[in-house]
This record gives sequence, structure tokens and C-alpha cells, in this order.
Amino acid sequence: MNIIGPDYLVFGVDDVAASIEYLTAWGLKPVDVTEKGGIFETLDGTGIIIRHKADPMLPPPLPTSNMLRQQVYGVRSAEDLDAIEAELGTDRRVTRLSDGSIELKDDHGFELKFQVTIRRELDMPAEKINAPGAPAQRRPNEIGVWEEMPALPRTLSHVVLFVPDLDVATKFYCDRLGFVITDVLTGAGPFLRPKANDDHHTLFFIRTPEYMKGCEHLAFHMGGPTELMVAGTRFVKKGYQSFWGPGRHKFGSNWFWYFNSPLGCHFEYDADMDKHDDTWIAREAPMGAEASQIVLFEMREKWAPTGGPPPGAKG
Amino acid sequence: MGETRYLCRALDIGEGEAKGFGPIDGARRKVILVRRGGVLRGWLDACPHYSTGTPMAWKTDGYLNGERTHLTCHSHGALFEIETGECVLGPCLGQRLTAVAISVSEEGDVFVALPVEEKSKSDN
Repeated sequence: MNIIGPDYLVFGVDDVAASIEYLTAWGLKPVDVTEKGGIFETLDGTGIIIRHKADPMLPPPLPTSNMLRQQVYGVRSAEDLDAIEAELGTDRRVTRLSDGSIELKDDHGFELKFQVTIRRELDMPAEKINAPGAPAQRRPNEIGVWEEMPALPRTLSHVVLFVPDLDVATKFYCDRLGFVITDVLTGAGPFLRPKANDDHHTLFFIRTPEYMKGCEHLAFHMGGPTELMVAGTRFVKKGYQSFWGPGRHKFGSNWFWYFNSPLGCHFEYDADMDKHDDTWIAREAPMGAEASQIVLFEMREKWAPTGGPPPGAKG
Repeated sequence: MGETRYLCRALDIGEGEAKGFGPIDGARRKVILVRRGGVLRGWLDACPHYSTGTPMAWKTDGYLNGERTHLTCHSHGALFEIETGECVLGPCLGQRLTAVAISVSEEGDVFVALPVEEKSKSDN
């Protein structure tokens, strides 16, 4: 089962106009978007699909206030869809759609769809840095930052779910779909990566009461920590609300910056996440502020010290 | 009422509208003014889901849900009654927003009583 990761996350929102404004400002590209909603793409084609919560085209809602309606996973080939159908068709309804994709529910009732991935292969450089003792990554006269530098989400990175039962969630994704646990934050939950993706995680669970079941946040990979901070700073300047960050997580090593959203969950810019293979042995740490991040900052308005006496001083 | 700070003209908040002000005088969080049924109310912009209280808007003045019926925390979509501040849906079900005492002068100016937050909250 060569699952790569989320192609799309589908939401049924209560304010389509606000969501369209938000997703566009976030740096996603509207594709065939009307006042009813549509697709918002990252650079590789993965992204967010929104419709009004009353739209009958949407999968049914969760029994909570959460707006997440479906997680659409990309797989490598049609054979992977057959393998998922064979595995999960034994104990639940698996619906085969005309385009070959399959739909089903996980053991917590989250709606899932699996399809041959729509993601386009990206060919663009990561953020380049220069450091003493290492070969320069930027050539002479190649500058690192400029005011109009691009800082757009490259791909949908991961989704974090509030689930009432960690064992049920972990067993479903690991035992039935071949995900691997990379690390565990005890008291919160495990980080998972699917077989066909070496990112530290595309999925993370946080244990919560049943009435909170849903999406806590979703994240997008940026080209590096500078792009993350530039994108986040531009977003704050437009009036959007920072929730947590910028900072850098310990598990996964990814830089983070979280924002509130009109989709009922947080949106995260992330950058420079660890990669793993099957030789990795999962670590475990108790959930808390220390385990969660190596550094945390909070944005402030731009300011600069200048020389000379203070304004108004005699001189 | 003791020491106060001017926020805005009462007419600046229309029926069914909410706006954020501050943070005022070293407070950690903003003050939300919201008008419903003609009555102007003040709430602290601090969702009770987390002990520090987190900011609730999705953008400047974006405090209401799509139907404009409830104050909303745009962290996880929690809905709060405009009149009582009680969370009726979401993670902090049954908890309440912190009320902020406001007064409207005869000239129609809105003032907030200081301090707007408990000290323990402004420390976070």
C-alpha cells in the first residue's frame, strides 16, 4: 500500500466568502472557484477543497462542530487502491467511484478517500544557506532575501486529528494501511508517516473527548525557515491572527507558525522537516512546552536601533 | 467605575457587529465589543480552551461565525453566546468568556474599566 500523503482536505464551511479570502491570502491558488467554493492548490497541486456546509456534494459531517468533511489520500498506483479495497472491504463498506478512487470511513468515522495521487513533481531549490566550514550554497553575488521574494506553500504536508481513542486510531492507520510511528508525545499521541513518504509525519493524533473529534490543524511545507517567516509576516500584516509561533519543533525538527482560520482549525506553515526510513527507532517524550519546541518566538512590529542621541535631545 | 479608557464611539459598532480593541495598557488580550438587540457588550478576546486564553479572531475584527449568531473562536470553531459568553459548541463547552465592564457616556463614547484582565492572565 504505497500511500504518499494527503492530496486534499475537504471542508464544509459556514462562511464561504471568508474562507475564499483566507485561503487565497494564505498563498493557495484558486482553481475553478465560485461563490460555492472550489479547490485551492499549493505549487504541487495538493491543497484544500471548500464548499458551504449545506452543500449536498459534500461527504456527511462529523457529529461535532468540526468542519472537516474528508481526507483525500494520494497513492502511487491503481494497484495500491486495489490493495486498500481488499484490506478494508473485509469489515466496512468501500465505495468504488467512476474515476477509480475509493471512499470509506476509518474506525473513528472520519471520511477517507484514496486516489492515484494528483501531485505534480516539484523541481525547485530549497532555501540555501552559507556557513563557515561548509561549501557555500549561494554563489558570490547571489542574495538570500529580498522584499518581494516568493514564499508560497509548496505542498500539503500533514493533518492533525483530535481523536478520542489513540489505540483505535493508531491500529487502523498502522495495522490496516501500513503507516509507521516515528515518534510519540505521551499525553498527546503518535506521529505517523505512510509507507511511500519519508517525511517525519503526515499524520498526528491528539487524544481529546469525543465532542472535540475533528481536525486540529493542517500544515503546508515551505521552501525553508526564511520563506516560512516571510509568509507568516506578510499574513499577519494583512490582519490575520497568529496562534503559535514562529518556532521550531523538536520531534520532526520542522519550523512552525500556526494561525487561526475560518475553517474551524489552525493552519500551519512548516519547513525543513526530518526525513526517516524504516531503520528509525521511535522516540518518546511527555507532551509539554519543553518537548514540543526547541525555540519559540513571537512576531513584533519591525523596529531598528539608530545611532545618535534620542529624539529631542540637545545636541 | 474607577479608571477607564476610551475605546470608540458607540455608533461605531452597528447591530450584529463585533470589533476588537487594544490590547490596552499592558493587557495581553484585546477587548471585543459586540452589539446584539441594540445592547453593547464587552468580552475579553481570550478563548477559555487554554488556561492562558488565546486570541479568537481569524483576522482583524473577525469574531463572529458565518451566520453572525455567535462569537466564535477561530482556533477550533467554538461558539459563544453573545449575551452570556457561554460556550455552547466546541472544546470549551460550558465555559465562559471573561466579561469586560464597559460604559457609554451621555455623548455616546464607549469606555472600558481598567484593568481589563486579571494579573495572572496578563503574565502569560
